[in-house]
Amino acid sequence: MRLPRSLHWRLVVLVLGVMSAVWLAAAAVIWIDAQHELDELLDGHLAQAAALLVAQQSISENEDHETIDAPSLHPYAPKVVFQVWHDDVLALRSANAPAQPMSHRRRGFATLAIDGIAWRVFAARGAESDTQVYVGEQIASRAGILWAVMRSALWPMAVALPLLAVLGWWAVRQGLLPMRRLSQIIARREAHVLAPVAVADAPTEMQPLITSLNGLFERIAALLESERRFTADAAHELRTPIAAIRVQAQTALITVDDAPRRHALQATLAGCDRAAHLVEQLLLLSRLEQTAAPPAAAVDLSTLTRQVVAELANTALEQKQSLELAAPESCLVVGDDALLAVLVRNLVDNAIRYSSREARIRIAVAKEDGRVRLNVEDSGPGMSEEQLARLGERFFRVLGSDQAGSGLGWSIVRRIGAATGAAIEVRRSDALGGLRVVVTWS
Amino acid sequence: MRILLAEDDPLLGDGLRSGLRQLGFRVDWVRDGNAAERELRAEPYAAAVLDLGLPMKGGLDVLAATRAQSIKTPVLILTARDAIADRVRGLDLGADDYVVKPVDLHELAARLRALVRRAHGKPEERLQLGAVTLDPAARAVLRDGVDVVLSQREFDLLHVLMLNQGRVLSREQLQQRLYKWGEEVDSNAVDVHIHHLRRKLGPELIETVRGVGYVLARGTSAQ
Repeated sequence: MRLPRSLHWRLVVLVLGVMSAVWLAAAAVIWIDAQHELDELLDGHLAQAAALLVAQQSISENEDHETIDAPSLHPYAPKVVFQVWHDDVLALRSANAPAQPMSHRRRGFATLAIDGIAWRVFAARGAESDTQVYVGEQIASRAGILWAVMRSALWPMAVALPLLAVLGWWAVRQGLLPMRRLSQIIARREAHVLAPVAVADAPTEMQPLITSLNGLFERIAALLESERRFTADAAHELRTPIAAIRVQAQTALITVDDAPRRHALQATLAGCDRAAHLVEQLLLLSRLEQTAAPPAAAVDLSTLTRQVVAELANTALEQKQSLELAAPESCLVVGDDALLAVLVRNLVDNAIRYSSREARIRIAVAKEDGRVRLNVEDSGPGMSEEQLARLGERFFRVLGSDQAGSGLGWSIVRRIGAATGAAIEVRRSDALGGLRVVVTWS
Repeated sequence: MRILLAEDDPLLGDGLRSGLRQLGFRVDWVRDGNAAERELRAEPYAAAVLDLGLPMKGGLDVLAATRAQSIKTPVLILTARDAIADRVRGLDLGADDYVVKPVDLHELAARLRALVRRAHGKPEERLQLGAVTLDPAARAVLRDGVDVVLSQREFDLLHVLMLNQGRVLSREQLQQRLYKWGEEVDSNAVDVHIHHLRRKLGPELIETVRGVGYVLARGTSAQ
């Protein structure tokens, strides 16, 4: 049988089902026990009645061999019969007794059918073995007595059953109240409310549910928050360059003096370059997200890094930064050389940009345990735990760095790393005190 | 009019500073939230332009902190965040205006002028005192309907005095409202400008309160 889907009805059905089964079993045990006791009692009476008849026969001898029909004295009497045989002649019998011996047995109990009616018969013999007494009782009358006895015991229980059903239904309903309260709380919730749910007096069994529910709310809130941050960061990174271009251009328009006007125009151009760079980065990122597997070939990372560092060395020198490169052996990495160059350039460029003047920047390409490893570390300001955690979110940028970045460089590095099967690790540089980035190709 | 600009983007900050300067504002530019809060507390700016994504301390935090210290400088939030929730939060925290980047320079200037007018309880576009009319947008002063040529500093001085009609302003207060940081100020510069204004607009316009400072003549304002 399939249980109902409602927990309420499920509990009601189970509890009442089990209760009814136990009740029926108890009733059956009582019935059998009562029947047994009754049988013993009535059998005792039969035996006693037979003994009386036997004793009476030995005192008053009926000599004329006439059958005497004993009168019926009680309404119950037709259900009880007796016969007294004397030397195989029926001497005395009750009015409803048959003319043949009632039992094939001479002594003891027998259950048998006479004219289609079930009887319990007790047979006894006199001391001289000439007297044979049978006392019988209808089985049906015994059943009647049993039923009468059991009826009084069973009916209160039968009445109690529907009452129990109603009360059980109510009790289960009360027990499930915290659950209904929880579902009401959630049903009434506005979509934007993601605070944890609190149910007063919540039972222990519901705590895991509430805990996981609150965990879910927390995760959704975190997701929404990161979405909101992404939108805000994207808005900032996309609108600020345009705002700068517009303001600078407008300033150039309304400025009469030559020098400030030239300055504003140059700033306008710088703004355009920045916007163009941003667009390039966005396009690169979107290409990286589209192509599943960029073309791959074996690329010597040492040579590639040397080229990139050479391109950027001038910027570092302008800021009097010391740039060290250690790439002693050829290290082959499978990937697209243009993309790998973008990755290395981004990392080295970041180190140069975000470190102060006269900072130290150390770049190393090496093979360790058969894996190629690129290591970029600097003596710059490094990053806080919180900033490290947000690194790689699109458009996230460390505020106050005074550098016109797009906030996309890290996303790009991460994507290229993933595309070429590299693990990227960012932490504090123990040697130089700034940021240390380790890219490992497996 | 002296205003504070809090913007961390170098290119945008530079543009706003030069642009607003061209439109007659004196602009002090700070690049982080802590500096913005410090300046708002220290100087009597006519208004402030506040970016929200400032380093060290976010624009909204700066706003909340200054309003908590009952600094009433009108604040215009200039930000890339255009979500309604952000606007509502900004305005509820005590911002007087909320503008989303990119912004038109002229519009920004007009909004700043409106903020300053409202902050002084003067909703009209032009300030009037007797026969003298001052038009902040056009940066023009008329006397009996005739244009009077004033230097930029003289115009600013008159503007400050007209915005503060009935209030006596000390020489130091006037200096603070007229000069940016690091501008060289002669000790009697304000007196010289007052002298020029009296010459150009009539001697009775500005009254001297001995030992205190200057105030626009009450007699003329009653007309």
